[in-house]
Order: sequence, then structure tokens, then C-alpha cells
Amino acid sequence: MSFLQPMLLAGLALAALPIIIHLINQRRYQTIRWGAMMFLLAANRMSRGFARIRQWLILLMRVLAVACLAFVIARPLTSGWLGLAAAGRADTTLVLLDRSPSMQQAGSGGGESKLAAGRRQLIETLERLPSSHWVLVESTTNQPRELESPRSLEHLPETEPSGAAADWPAMLQAAHDYIVANQSGRTEIWLLSDLRTNDWSADDARWEALRSAFAAFPQGVRFHLLAYPSTAPANVAVRLTGVRHRTVGDGGELLVSLRLERAEESPKPVSVPIQFEIDGARSVLNAELVGKDFELREHRIPLGPRQQRGWGRVSIPADANPADNEFYFAFDQAETHRTAIVADDPNIGEALRLAASIPTDPGELCSAEVIDLAQAGSIDWDKTALVLWQAPLPQGETAKQLEAFVARGGQAIFFPPLAPEASEFMGASWQAWSAPPEGAAVETWRGDQDLLAHTQSGMSLPVGQLELHKVCGLSGEVTPLASLKGGAPLVARAPTPRGGVYFIATTPAAGASSLASDGIVLYVAVQRALANGAAAIGGAQQLIAGEPGAEAAAQWRRLAGDERGVSIENAFQPGAYAAEEAVVALNRPEAEDAAGVLADDRVAALFRDLDFVRIDEEAGSARSLVQEVWRSFLAAMMFALVAEAWLSMPRVASAARQAGMVGAVGLR
Amino acid sequence: MSTIRQSRSFLQPKVLARLSAIPLFARQPMQGTVSGRHQSPHRGSSVEFAEYREYVPGDDPRRMDWRAYGRSDRFYVKEFEADTNLRCCLVLDTSGSMDFGSTGVTKIEYARRIAGSLGYLAVEQGDAVGLTCVAGGVIENVPPRRNPAHLSAVFDVLEQIRPKGETQLPAALHELAETARQRALVVILSDFFVEPDELRRAFEHLRFRKHDVAAFHLLDPLELSFEFRRPMRFLDMEGGSPIFAEPNAIAERYQAALRQYLDQMKQIVLESAVDYHRVDISEDYERVLSRFLVERSRKRGRR
Repeated sequence: MSFLQPMLLAGLALAALPIIIHLINQRRYQTIRWGAMMFLLAANRMSRGFARIRQWLILLMRVLAVACLAFVIARPLTSGWLGLAAAGRADTTLVLLDRSPSMQQAGSGGGESKLAAGRRQLIETLERLPSSHWVLVESTTNQPRELESPRSLEHLPETEPSGAAADWPAMLQAAHDYIVANQSGRTEIWLLSDLRTNDWSADDARWEALRSAFAAFPQGVRFHLLAYPSTAPANVAVRLTGVRHRTVGDGGELLVSLRLERAEESPKPVSVPIQFEIDGARSVLNAELVGKDFELREHRIPLGPRQQRGWGRVSIPADANPADNEFYFAFDQAETHRTAIVADDPNIGEALRLAASIPTDPGELCSAEVIDLAQAGSIDWDKTALVLWQAPLPQGETAKQLEAFVARGGQAIFFPPLAPEASEFMGASWQAWSAPPEGAAVETWRGDQDLLAHTQSGMSLPVGQLELHKVCGLSGEVTPLASLKGGAPLVARAPTPRGGVYFIATTPAAGASSLASDGIVLYVAVQRALANGAAAIGGAQQLIAGEPGAEAAAQWRRLAGDERGVSIENAFQPGAYAAEEAVVALNRPEAEDAAGVLADDRVAALFRDLDFVRIDEEAGSARSLVQEVWRSFLAAMMFALVAEAWLSMPRVASAARQAGMVGAVGLR
Repeated sequence: MSTIRQSRSFLQPKVLARLSAIPLFARQPMQGTVSGRHQSPHRGSSVEFAEYREYVPGDDPRRMDWRAYGRSDRFYVKEFEADTNLRCCLVLDTSGSMDFGSTGVTKIEYARRIAGSLGYLAVEQGDAVGLTCVAGGVIENVPPRRNPAHLSAVFDVLEQIRPKGETQLPAALHELAETARQRALVVILSDFFVEPDELRRAFEHLRFRKHDVAAFHLLDPLELSFEFRRPMRFLDMEGGSPIFAEPNAIAERYQAALRQYLDQMKQIVLESAVDYHRVDISEDYERVLSRFLVERSRKRGRR
């Protein structure tokens, strides 16, 4: 039980008043010398059952009535899990809001989404719970933001749905940092989420650190998880897996590949009309969805003669989650994917040129040019998608140009020079060449993502079959993608906000490795980097919500998408945008379509040893989390008073009258 | 009257003067030693004709009815009712509970007035009066005599007796029934706070001995109404352990017990033909006595 005015609970002491009065009354008895003791003794003998406890019941009812009155004025809140919530005034209340697309799923109770329902519940709850400060940490920026009152949650654009995934460890880290920075007193942290596995990253190493960091706060931090874990089995998500522009005659056509995915597998076939919208022109294709998913490959959509660049949208009819019923794309006339190769060794340069200039698709155009280190300044950075660098690491002006190229989304792969120098780029530097022991091979590599990921069919690349004769040492803050026995990195990635900088610690030269002779790994890696680079620098860009910087995105002009969104939210709102030189399509991350929900025990494990309360809610539920229950106590008080009155009713009066009459009759 | 040499607190001459206009009659024939106002079981020399009886040798020839001889040629003797005096035994309960009185007069005081007045009336009409005071046993016993000087002794006892101790009324009544040699008018003045069944046996014993039993059941109004506002500690006037009670809580059951007792009493007095008078001691004793006397006169008139 918790109370808005706990001080007034002191009034509970008044409940003892009837007992005290009773005791005083007992003490101020009168003594009388009495003759008719035989009737008193008989009355005592008759006293049994209800008659015996009647007086005690009356006393109990009086105590109850006073106690209920004390409770009423103390304004009690609903008990249960929330009872723990409001045991006094909090200094700071932090609201961690999951705005990810999955939060837009509507509940079974009505059209209200999980986000809207949770927000409403939070507002109602927080308005009743006293706190000095309210701070919002929402899932797109993870930046704490002070609120005037809980009611502000209703109107802030930062609490509206977004297309970006949430990173709960990062949000909690932000909350932690805020508490440290502001030296908050007793803190209540409210988490609103649908517990999607991709948002919570329960295996992340940060959780352990967060747990110990929060547990270390001496002032007491309490977590309240307002969870909406329900899923919608019939929900269908649409996702574009590829869009390609092809020039046909005078005009062109788009080859669109997409996938429909049902949240849970069902043998019941569903007809889903897929609507394509290209620059406002619409066409519909009916798809029959059986089982879990439906794959459409290279669906041709003819374009007008002048439509070389533009945006489009694929949509399906509304279902439980409106956020995954649309997918935006941008297209541009196919351009040549240019690769610049800077090589010490012409042989190596040639091998790399071959890998970079043969397109994976006959419809694409690829070109690669090998140049000397001295000519590096002449690279046309704006049109280049990939740089392959087999030379001493760039310095000075060249390094700056290369960094700017990467920041724009360009890709660069570095190979060790013949004579490594001490120079450094992106925090990494080459060490000396060494010959690994005979038969040394790649021991581990990341097959789940990045350059060495498995193919679409699930086959792994033959990285383990590479023969390595010479390996150059690599030092610096890099993330290994493939490691040799003993832990030395063979392929590594430098951390960059955008674009990609990779290091491969050997060369395709015949004396160094079999990268060229067993060319699959090299070819795939180079083509993947090239495709990524081309996508980033082309006139049409497919981005994931949250990827672009918020400030840069604020300059974009919205072509399609939610018209209510404000420009500062552009980076997080799915839609098509006109950037300076490109059309940008922003969509939700792929992981958001997976309906996986974190199991209860895993959630409990994440908050192990912390003061944690969880309440499961259902979107569309009209009930409030916090309810003032003084009415119930008032009713209880009334009941107690009525019961007391009934019990104290002087039934003896009539009996006395009767007895008096008997006497009177007898006297006559 | 000359017997009242000194004033008695329980006697009011005006009341006695008014009451003396109504004679005290017994409800059944009495066996007295001298002539009096009461019917006797024997034939006597009163003016009231009783019957003709055939003459037998030895009868006084003066009592022969010559007119009857003239008509029937047979000798008849004319007999008349005998009038005799009665022995009035006043039985006074002097147990502790008789000291109770909520209206300014206690039950014992009330009983004194009735007993004193009845004694005076009886002696005045030539009847014998005795007094037995009963508490744990027979405390005082003044045998019935009819001379006015004796009345003074009765009054002395009445004046000096103080209520004390428990009630053993039934035992005392049994004893009285056994020891009274002749028929008597037994007037019991008590609150009868004893088991009704014991009382029944005592009454029946008295009736068996052909006594005319009259009972004045003295009850205080507070005992009937049991109206208290505050918790009370009831001290037993007869020496029992005290009882602490919340009157509101217990009143209902008290009334039930009282009703049951009064009903039983009513049944008992009907069955044992006791001349029963339930008296609320807030009522004027003169009215109670005049009612008692008038009822008895009526019954005699119906004879």
C-alpha cells in the first residue's frame, strides 16, 4: 500500500480511540448494591454465540471506521507491484522510452499502439507519483532530456514513433551517466518497452557493467519495467531486399526484390495485395502468403523515359503493426562502380583490379584503376566507391581526403606495403612482416556480418582454406573479422561512424598468400565493399533509420513519409528524403521484423540484484496503472458505520417494554 | 389505639384509620380459640343459621326447634355457624436483597409498613398476630397472640430487624408449616429471589396444612426495568461475588431471565392457590393493602 499523503497516516493512531474510550468507560463504572443477582447470573449464562462477540464486533467496527477515515485522507494508491513504486517522493524520475517500430503494434483491445498506451499509462502514473525532476531518455538519440512535467510526454516529438531500433544498454548507460552527472537523489527509472530481443541485446557485455554500476549507487535506484510483451502472430511485414535500375531502350525499369514475412508460421494462405508506388504512381501485385514468408525476386516496374532517379514505396494493407507495412526505396540510374587501387607492387595491383572490375551482375558496370602512391592525389573521390590501398599508410593531405571519403560512406581496404613504415591511419599501423608456422591457417572469422559473412544461401566463405606464407603484423584499435591461430588478426575493421575501413594483413601476391589463386574470398570481400561504397555515394541511398546524423538529416526535404514528423526527427523517421545530391530512403532495421521477445527469466536476470519491478500490460487496456482507492476505503468506512449502528441498535428497548408490561399486568 | 404507645416509623395512623373500615378476612375457615369474625369449621352460636340436625340424647333441649316439632312431629336441633378468630402469621424476608430500593424506600421498609398495618388491623378485630423473620434461617419468631400488648412486641421486632445474609425462605416456610399447630393466615412479604421450584414445594406444604397463604412479591422498579447507562459493578447484597457488566449488553438477557421467572411464579401461585400480589414498591402501600383487603371481603361475600 502506498499513499500520496503518507504523513496523514499518523491519523491511524486515532483508530485506537474507540478502544481507549472503551477502556476509560470501563474504568468509570458505577458500583451498585444489587439484590436481583439471580437474573444477572442467568443473563450471563444465556450469553453465548453472537451475543458474546457482539460488543467486540461493535468495537471492531468503530476502530475500522476511524482507520478507514485515516486511510481516505492519506489518499492510498493501488497496492501490489506499484506499492513498491511510490514509497515516498523521488528526487528524479527517469523515463526510458522505447520508440522502435515494433512498439507501434496495436493491442487486441483497440487501435491504440503499445507506445501510445504505455505513454498514456506513464503520464497517468507519474502525475500521481511525486518527484522533483522528470527526465526522458528516448531510444533514438539516447540523450537525457529534462521534462517540465510528465504531461510533456504527450506532446513531445521525441516520444512519437520512430523507425530506429532501440539500444537498451546504451539507454541505461545514458540514464546512469545522467544520475552521475547530476548527482540525483533517490531515482525512479521507468522503462517502457515491448522486450524485443534485438533492442535489448541481452547477451551484450555492457549489461554486467551496468548492473554493477547501478547497484553501486548509494541513494537507491528503482527500476519499473512497463512491458508490453504481446506479439501479433498474424502480423505481416514487408521488406525490400533489393532494387536495381536497368536501362532499357530509351527508358528504364526497376527490378524490385522484396520479402513478406509473417510473425508466426501458419498453413493458412493469405492474399496480400502489395502496392508499389514510384514517385506517386501506383501499381498493385497480389501475393499469396503461405507458411512464414513470401519472396518476390526482381519484379519489373517500368519507368518513364525521364525517370532516372527517384523514390518509391512498397506497402501492404494495415495489420497489427503499421510500422512494418511500408518500405521506402530510392533509385538512380546505374552508375559505374569505380575502384581506385593504390599499389606498390603491380602484380598485386593487377590481382586487385581483377577482383574489383568484374561485376557480380551483368547489368552492372565496374571499373578499376591502378595508380601509384604518388598519384593518389589525383583520385576522383566523389565518384569512387572503393579504395584498395597496398602501399604505406596515407599521410597528410591524402589521409585527410581519404578520411573525408570514408565519412561520406566510402569504403577502403588496406593491404600491407612491401616495406611497412611506422605511420598510422585510423588508429592502426602496420608492423613487420613475418612468416607464420607452416600450415598456419585462419582459425576464426566472423561469418555473421561484414565482409566475410556467409552467403545468402547460408554457405560460409572458404576463409579457412586460405594458404598464408607471409603475414604482416597489425596494431591499433581494430575489430578482428578473421584471426590466425594465436590471435593475430588477418582481417580487421577500424571503427568508423560511417563507411568502412578494413585491413587485410597479407597481400594477394603469390609469395604471401593464396588470396589471388583461391580468389573467392578476395573477390567476395572486394565486391561487398564495392557494393557498400556504391550504395553510399550514389544518387540513391538506402539507409537505416538512426544511421544518418540527425543534424545532417534535418536539412533533408521529406518526399514521402509521416507528414507530422518534424525535421529534427528526419534521421529516425522512415520515409523518402531529398538530400543535397541524392535521394535517401530511410527504413527500419531488419532486426525489427523479428518478433522475438525476451523471456521473463532473462529479463529478470538482466536486473538481477537491482531494485526491479515489472508489470506486464496490454496495449488497449483502459485501466490505469495507478488508481487512487480512497473510494473503496470510504465505502468500507460507511459499511463499518452502518454495521456498528445495526449492532448497537437498542433491541433491549422493546424487550424492556415487554418486561415492564408483564410486571404491570401482574400488579393489576 | 392504646397499643401504639410510641410512634412507629412504619405506621401511619391516618392510613390505619382508613383501612380499619375494611375487615381482614380469611379465605377459608379458621380454627380459633375464641369467638371472632371468621368462619369456623365447627357449629357454634352465631346468628347465622347453618342447618337442622335430628335430636340425639344429650343435646341441650333448649336448642330444640319446637316449630319444626309442631310441623313434623319429630325432634330437630337448630344449628348455627361458629365465628372464631384467626391466627395471622406474618413472614418477613429479611435477607440482604430486601435492603434494596431505588425510589427512596427499600423493600424491607415497604414490607414493614404492610406487616405493621396488617398486624394492627388483625389485632384490632381480635385476631392473633405473630411474626417470623427469615433470612439464612428463622431469625426472629414471635408466636401469634391476640392481646394488644403483644402487638407492641411485634412492632419492636419489625423496627429492629435489619436485612442481612442470604435467603433461605423455602426452608423457613417448610418449618413454619410444620410448627403451626392450627390453621393460620400466612402472609409472606418477600422479593422471592429464590428458585421457583423450591418455592412451589413450600407453598404446597403450607396449603397441605390448610393454611391460607397470601404472598406480597415486592419488586423495585429498577429491578424490573434494568435501565442503566454506564458500566456497572453489581455487588451482591446477599454476600455473593460481584458481577461486572455492561448493562446495554446484558439487559436483553436480563429481561428474558426476569420474564421467565415471573411467568414461573405466576404458574406456581395459580397451582398452589396462593393469594399472590406482585407489588412495585413505588406504589403507595395503602392502595396495595386496601386492594388486598377488599378482594378478600368480596370472596367472603360470595360464600
